[in-house]
Amino acid sequence: MSKRSTTTPRDASEITALAIERRMTRRGFLVGTGAGLGALALAGCAPPAASAPPASAAPSSAAPSGEASPSASANLGDSMTLATWPNYHDPAVLDEFTAATGVAINVQVYGSTEEMEAKIRAGNSGIDVVVPSNYAIEGWVKDSLIESLDYAKLPDFKKEDWNSRFMDQAFDKGNAVSIPKNWGTTGIAFWSSKVNPEVTSWKQFFEVAGTTYKGKTLIVDHQISSFGSAAVAMGYSLNTIDPTEMAAVEQMLIALKPNLFAISSDVQPPLRAQDTWLSVAWTGDGVQVVRDNADAKYVVAEDGGELWIDSFTIAADAPHRDAAYAFLNWITQPEQAARETTFCLFPHANDKATALVDPAVKDNPVIYPPADSLSKLEYAVNATYNSPARAEAWARIKASA
Amino acid sequence: MTAASRTGDGRTARRRPAVLLALPTALWYLLFLIAPLVVLVIMSVGERSPNGGYAPAITLTQYAALPTRFTPLVNTLGLAALNTAICALVAFPVAYTLALKVRGTWKLVLVALVVVPFWTSFLIRTYAWMTLLGGNGIPRVLGWIGLENVQLLNTPFAVSLGIVYNYLPLMVLPIYVSLERLDRSLIEASRDLGAGPAATLRQVVLPLAAPGILSGIVLVFIPVMGEYLIPILLGGGKTYFLGNALADLFLQSRNWPFGSALGAVFVAGMIVLVAGYQTLSRRLVRAGRESSLI
Repeated sequence: MSKRSTTTPRDASEITALAIERRMTRRGFLVGTGAGLGALALAGCAPPAASAPPASAAPSSAAPSGEASPSASANLGDSMTLATWPNYHDPAVLDEFTAATGVAINVQVYGSTEEMEAKIRAGNSGIDVVVPSNYAIEGWVKDSLIESLDYAKLPDFKKEDWNSRFMDQAFDKGNAVSIPKNWGTTGIAFWSSKVNPEVTSWKQFFEVAGTTYKGKTLIVDHQISSFGSAAVAMGYSLNTIDPTEMAAVEQMLIALKPNLFAISSDVQPPLRAQDTWLSVAWTGDGVQVVRDNADAKYVVAEDGGELWIDSFTIAADAPHRDAAYAFLNWITQPEQAARETTFCLFPHANDKATALVDPAVKDNPVIYPPADSLSKLEYAVNATYNSPARAEAWARIKASA
Repeated sequence: MTAASRTGDGRTARRRPAVLLALPTALWYLLFLIAPLVVLVIMSVGERSPNGGYAPAITLTQYAALPTRFTPLVNTLGLAALNTAICALVAFPVAYTLALKVRGTWKLVLVALVVVPFWTSFLIRTYAWMTLLGGNGIPRVLGWIGLENVQLLNTPFAVSLGIVYNYLPLMVLPIYVSLERLDRSLIEASRDLGAGPAATLRQVVLPLAAPGILSGIVLVFIPVMGEYLIPILLGGGKTYFLGNALADLFLQSRNWPFGSALGAVFVAGMIVLVAGYQTLSRRLVRAGRESSLI
């Protein structure tokens, strides 16, 4: 995926009830901390190693009751680093891992896959586990930034529990290097009181964006999601890198740009303030805005668009490889995965986990859209992510007057 | 350091403590200025690796591609010049009043008030403007007096407002300092000799304040040239600065060599600018000294 909203409720009962005061997208988060390139280590997420019980003394009662509790081992070390998205992990789940294994998890938060990549490509990042979006993975494998998973070290992983829609995909055949964390869509968010008739396709979206809803529409600052959705609107693939098609999309977006409210990945603040009525949005933005406003809607476009998966991978230069495997083995188990899903409000690819997810989350069609609505969606591919021509087209759109 | 080693033995002995004292500074410059610039230049002659990032090479391809960032360059130069000029025009009367019209406690309080916003995070202040300029802020108030649907946020106006607001103290303070040091008897003499207020301002105050104005211009112009957040937060990503082009090259296109080339040219431009400023300001100071001798 690309960037997404960050604020999540503390427990399931709050999902429909709680209005949270401050929301930021991933990009907004980084802007907010002024971190830019840098990541922010959330010390609060992991107690210092010294305060964790020694591995050998960890009582098994501290571990979840499930079959797969993180096993205490003398070789795991006392810490590991997880490069991930804001508010993606339930701190209680991470703390449990630390309590049971003595491995403190240093959480680094990034606003985009590109920012994670900048860090691990530079080398010696100290990162063990990183959670990129689908489109980056092929390139990372080619450049040996992540390692092939040794499933012998993931003894509790059961392939049959996982939904085939999200496994064994073209970007990682046989899940050789990645295991899904959560997935989501890039869809359309709007205020139904303002946007009438409803906008349910990208074709409609880009028709009314600069006309009926001039100055009230936002597209996100990400070429895959925004340029891709515009391509879908014109009848092309999300992944088009055909020069003629790209030129047409570019021309359309340059003409549209002066009539947009913003090109920004901070989707929620203007949407909530009704500065925007119509917006490109990721699942997380949709879930949170709709939860807090009966009048707001999030739809997966009828004519297609982006489907994404963020996946756990292990950095090739991971300094704490054993801890990383122990963590992956544990966090991908249904019980932990379900709690993480209930916390972060993005759908999970493990069917057994989904079954355990809080019903308020599981039965929310904004979080778990009906399967048939996903049939036309496409995964962004590495060639799209990596295409200098698309990047330059997007830069020209952003630079245009 | 080199100066010390070139001098005679006796002097070297006496200079040694000075050399030692200069060492941390020299190391600082080496580690945090020279070394990163060398890395920047090396990367700028490289190639984008097929999957993004940097691949070693010696090529000028990246520099040849620089014209593709001509639009953000022109945007940035134009807006930086415009906003620096606005800053100067707003700051001069403020600095003049602070330096020459207010006295005692009031002066202290007012000067402090210019500085105090600097103690609050730049981001918090800019987010505050987002709220003020957004639909539930000033536009709503304008709606009450009949001006419907005024969009302020995400316009070039909002970007200018954010820049002028944030950088104004950097312009006010140097001008204030130069006016504060100004010999008041010169103004009185000018009046006594029959010059009106306008003539006094033009022929006496402005020339003497020129070094301060020049410092202010440089202090504002250079960071505004590198501005990145204000166009995102208050411009809604629709006003595209060089800083945004650079950030996108590293964090969206993952084209490190091209980003490095753009960065290198940008740094070179700024060095030329600062060198020009130093020459000019030296000349101004000399001219000021000469005129005061007469």
